[in-house]
Amino acid sequence: MPSMDTISRELMLDSLRNYAKKNLFHEFLREKDANNEFPAEILKEMYDQSILGVHLLLIPKEYGGISGGTFDVYRVCEILARIDLGIATGVFATFLGTDPLSVGGTDEQKEKWMTRIAKENLLVAYAATEADAGSDLVNLRTRAEHVLKNGKLIGYKLTGNKQWISNGGVADVYSVLAMAPGGSSWFMVEKGTEGFSPNKHEDKHGIRLSNTAGLSFDNAYIPKENLIGGVEGQGLTQAQAVFGYTRVMVAAFGLGAGWEALEVAIKYSQQRIQGGGPLSDKQGYTHKLIVPNAVNLEAARAYIEEISERLDGGEKGLQTEGAIAKYAATESGNKTAEDAIQALGGYGYTKDFSVEKIKRDAKITCIYEGTNEVMEMTIFRGRWQEHLKTRGRYYIDMADSLQSLHLESPEVGADLAALAARALAVIMEECRAQRLTRHQHITFKLGKLISLAELAFIFAKRAAAVEYTETIKFDRNVWQAMSRVYAKNAALQIAAEGIALILGAAEKDIDLAEALNFNTIQALQKGLISDMDLIASKLKDTFKAK
Amino acid sequence: MHIVVCVKQVPDSAEIKIDIETGTLIRAGVPSIINPYDHFALQKAIELKKAHKCKLTVISMGPPQAKSVVQLGLALGADDGILLSDRAFAGSDTWATSYIISKAIKKIGKIDIILCGMQAIDGDTAQVGPGIAQHLAMPQVTFCEDIKIDSKKIIVRKLIDDGYEIIEAKSPALFTMIMPKDFEPRYPAFLDIHNSLEKPYHQWSMCDIGAQEQYIGLKGSPTQVDRIYPPPKREKAEMISGGVSEAVEKIVDIFEKENFLKI
Ligand SMILES: Cc1cc2nc3c(=O)[nH]c(=O)nc-3n(C[C@H](O)[C@H](O)[C@H](O)COP(=O)(O)OP(=O)(O)OC[C@H]3O[C@@H](n4cnc5c(N)ncnc54)[C@H](O)[C@@H]3O)c2cc1C
Repeated sequence: MPSMDTISRELMLDSLRNYAKKNLFHEFLREKDANNEFPAEILKEMYDQSILGVHLLLIPKEYGGISGGTFDVYRVCEILARIDLGIATGVFATFLGTDPLSVGGTDEQKEKWMTRIAKENLLVAYAATEADAGSDLVNLRTRAEHVLKNGKLIGYKLTGNKQWISNGGVADVYSVLAMAPGGSSWFMVEKGTEGFSPNKHEDKHGIRLSNTAGLSFDNAYIPKENLIGGVEGQGLTQAQAVFGYTRVMVAAFGLGAGWEALEVAIKYSQQRIQGGGPLSDKQGYTHKLIVPNAVNLEAARAYIEEISERLDGGEKGLQTEGAIAKYAATESGNKTAEDAIQALGGYGYTKDFSVEKIKRDAKITCIYEGTNEVMEMTIFRGRWQEHLKTRGRYYIDMADSLQSLHLESPEVGADLAALAARALAVIMEECRAQRLTRHQHITFKLGKLISLAELAFIFAKRAAAVEYTETIKFDRNVWQAMSRVYAKNAALQIAAEGIALILGAAEKDIDLAEALNFNTIQALQKGLISDMDLIASKLKDTFKAK
Repeated sequence: MHIVVCVKQVPDSAEIKIDIETGTLIRAGVPSIINPYDHFALQKAIELKKAHKCKLTVISMGPPQAKSVVQLGLALGADDGILLSDRAFAGSDTWATSYIISKAIKKIGKIDIILCGMQAIDGDTAQVGPGIAQHLAMPQVTFCEDIKIDSKKIIVRKLIDDGYEIIEAKSPALFTMIMPKDFEPRYPAFLDIHNSLEKPYHQWSMCDIGAQEQYIGLKGSPTQVDRIYPPPKREKAEMISGGVSEAVEKIVDIFEKENFLKI
């Protein structure tokens, strides 16, 4: 579905921000967090069609929704995460919970459930995870047995337990993954179904405003009309089909949580006087705790926007890209939140400041919707295929296109991004030649390096465009400085880590420095500090302390 | 009845910064919002529309992105929206602006009530509302806090220095609205924003409204802004305590020391 026009989208974001400004201030969130309390009334209001109706974003127009696109969802998720990641998760679970239906539901099923979710403001949960089925759903134990009447199938009996289900204890409707005789399948289960009950709300490290609970099924009868798609065995395919964009949502969570923490730190640093001046003027502080995080978050944003536009343009799947977005944005968001505590020193460690909570909350984005290690694996698998299929040209082609970009726009660091891609091509080829991917560590690390190279590519490409992003808060030269800094670091890190990986595992001695263009990467680090100075000063101007 | 409400997009003053060196407003990165007084006027207009089944038109003048405040009006309940946007309008002062808006309102046809915010928070002139009334030769009441329709009469509560006046007016008339302290701005729900895209919306240029070139833009503006600057920062104040004569003595001392007094 294409996204909305910018003005309509901004109006929605304004409504959301203003709702939060009025209702969701720090003290309120802090109290709920301390009491481990799900703010049911807030979720109800956010779903209320006459107040906000956020859940309508993912429901098609014909069923009473507003048919939002991925770009819309990314922006809304980012703002939700800036408000509170627990509340954001409550909304997200509904998005996720309707996905099996959107992808695999029959027209009658969509009509029935989507319309109800839209009109009755239903909270939905998405129940896949079990005690023995986390990253790997193969060991799914929840069973769905046939119920026959006069020899004809009329429904299923569900038996088993789900674990850590967001909205688990509070949802009105659940999409539940269970093993039917014909294979894993999704079922729509209503609250109050006999034989089905949610368990207690978990006591968690973070996102404590999100209800997380296990689900127990004991011969719970589900009519056969509630088998999503009407055919058994489609469960994993249906779950996979939407990973591209569900991961964009979690990526946006990482981005939002990270920026929220960073903004607090940037403002704080202007007011805190130590060593004779504000911390915001101290390079040892800004260039460690502030600038690299801003750069990484904005690189992730560029990537998220690129993927959102592609999904909105009708491309299907994009699972590797979704994994890259999720991985990069949530790693950066989590790191930024951690650094924000450091940036506030002792104050940051207390609950009087929001960064402590953001840090606890942000961690979940590295775990759910596929852990970040699983992301590394997914990224590696996806691109390894491309590497083999193109006989090693995948990243060489990317490097070539970056090289031409550099000729047109020499200020975005495309030359370094090209070196990063070229180095990656060399490393992957070397891994192939020496059969090093038998080491799982190497494959996961390659996942990380791939993510670095691809973000450098997309960041450079987008920073060169005239219209950059509607979220723009900086002048164009700041984006470009950020893109340069990102590319410099990506090239250096890929080359250095690549060397460590290959030489750490290879049996023969090789010298990769030349093949990786190490000298050029080294020479092009020039200007890094002045770029960081520029970014630090612009961040200070843009997020002025009151 | 047909109500027209005039709204303006302004930079969020809470976030506005002034470049000390050049003396200009830094607009980059400052979010745009609907002028809060206009937001109040808009909400009042919607109340009237609901209570009396009036037709409500929301109108704004500004660059293309000012469509946002028109759409906000539509999403909150207005029936149609008009954006007056033309390069030729750029640089218009309050006189030229009120001329342009009055031409557009004439084009709309028969209207009964015009509501404006008292002033815009970026310029604080409070002149555009009265200007429109003047161009349309229409009676006006400024600084209204409340407005009601009672059969054919319009009854407003106008704030004055030491209280308020209740004024009755006949339509057509223009009212500018102040914003009560407890005003809670409403924002539209997602579905209303989505549906607002289907409401009638027009963008009108100079030609569309038949405005004459010599009365608009910089050329048609009798006011020229010389420069904008933040008021100079005051130095720290010194509080003087003690009895009257003691304090007077201290003050005179300071005056002498600072050479304020030549005795
Ligand atoms: C607050 C919260 C909310 C949640 N909400 C939902 C929900 O709404 N619906 C739902 O279905 N699930 C939900 N989950 C479950 C979540 O998606 C899983 O926790 C996640 O998929 C990881 O599974 P796991 O916890 O079993 O960890 P495991 O899979 O056991 O992983 C443990 C560690 O091992 C690593 N690892 C796993 N496999 C491999 C491998 N092959 N090679 C190397 N390392 C590996 C992981 O990266 C991780 O570091 C939620 C979880 C939490 C904590």
